[in-house]
Amino acid sequence: MVEMPATQVWIGRGIYVGLCFLIIFFQLLPLDSRPQVFPWPDLLLVVTLVWVARRPEYAPMLAIALIFFVTDMLFQRPPGLWAALVLILTEVIRKRSAQFRKSSVILEWMAVAGGMIALTLAYRLILIVSMTPAPPLGLSLLQLIMSVLAYPMVVTVAHFAFRVSRPAQGAVDSLGHRL
Amino acid sequence: MARDNKNEDFVGPIRRLLVGLFVLLFLAVFVVWRIDSPRVERFRAAVIDEVVPSFDWAMAPVTGMINLVSDFQSYQQLAEQNDNLRRELQQMKAWKEAALQLEQENARLLDLNKVRLDPQLTYITGVVVTDSGSPFRQSVLLNVGARDGIIDGWPTMDGIGLVGRISGVGDDTSRVILLTDTSSRIPVTIQPSGQKAILGGDNTLNPPLEFIEDPGLVRPGDRVVSSGDGGVFPGDLMVGRVALGTDRRLRVRLAADYGRLEFLRVLRAQPHDAIEDPGGLLATDPVLPPEETAAANVSDADG
Repeated sequence: MVEMPATQVWIGRGIYVGLCFLIIFFQLLPLDSRPQVFPWPDLLLVVTLVWVARRPEYAPMLAIALIFFVTDMLFQRPPGLWAALVLILTEVIRKRSAQFRKSSVILEWMAVAGGMIALTLAYRLILIVSMTPAPPLGLSLLQLIMSVLAYPMVVTVAHFAFRVSRPAQGAVDSLGHRL
Repeated sequence: MARDNKNEDFVGPIRRLLVGLFVLLFLAVFVVWRIDSPRVERFRAAVIDEVVPSFDWAMAPVTGMINLVSDFQSYQQLAEQNDNLRRELQQMKAWKEAALQLEQENARLLDLNKVRLDPQLTYITGVVVTDSGSPFRQSVLLNVGARDGIIDGWPTMDGIGLVGRISGVGDDTSRVILLTDTSSRIPVTIQPSGQKAILGGDNTLNPPLEFIEDPGLVRPGDRVVSSGDGGVFPGDLMVGRVALGTDRRLRVRLAADYGRLEFLRVLRAQPHDAIEDPGGLLATDPVLPPEETAAANVSDADG
């Protein structure tokens, strides 16, 4: 721990943004244009939630807002709505992230899963109220389940590959400030 | 803890304001999109036009690599496949001969009858750059756009069957809504019974046929071609064959190979001339031909 904390934080942010770009890139690859029967989990959302719940300082609000707005444009979603809802959810989880440090992993998972369910419901509700064609219900529910199941896996990968884990209680950074 | 509190005091309100601003901004974009969708969709096309070509240098090689790996796996069945292909080729040669003769005969008969067909459709070929990136949307992005003269609504095919239609044109890119997308509706004719129907995408590989006049006349295996009804879409493009789905609905097995869309043809569909005036009554002419009336007027003036 010789690094300056600022450098460390910026490296963490760089990793987060890079990972998001990689996910967007692979989702856009034109490998197979057949409709999927089992949709992939919404990896971009899961990664963002993992980062916000565990190391909120690595996932700055500005980056989240821009990334999700651009993907709204790229992925042919109604522009703005999903980005706004994700931003609200991440802010809620960001506030709770200090509590998550004290609670168990299962509790954290359940809280985030609840967030994802609320997000999907709110998105669908607003689409219905504004009379916008909504994606098929079965497919979005399936994707929601996949995303919830993917959360612990992404947590594991983030922990071992990117060192994104909950700071232990009383942990200090290299300048001795409490995290 | 004291430090934390101080931090909260300074940064908290500004942050909260910023978050609120972003959320409001995004919701405003959504509302504007809902009210004036074409304008925002044009903006979206422009954004994609900027963003995607800058990915392209990396996208093409990665796609190529992944396809290479999946091709390599299929080399195992190569010998077997080769045999099958040779056998099929033999059959195809016979069919080709028959088709050529029929084509000549058809041309002679059309000539005898003085039938005027649609002018030949010409096409622009584009390469698929990206797909939609979301399991809820079935569309692909082509590397040809307004610069190449692409216009909204033109149909696209791979070599064999209809794939979709252009919806959203940027300067260098254009989006093709595939037939499997939930917002895709194409008027089709089912041959040989000639039944009209609508092919409506529902996010599955085999889209269902809706509004068939008499489903009793339609059998699995019948050919489905686009009908050109409504005048927005050219007729007689191969779509696929009828199949009975597991849910007992009539569906279409698409002729185009959706597993590997790489090069797509965008057909230049000339819109039909609109018939605007209702057509005058057949007996609008005065009893006298115009020259004679004029002459009569002149003689009246004289007299």
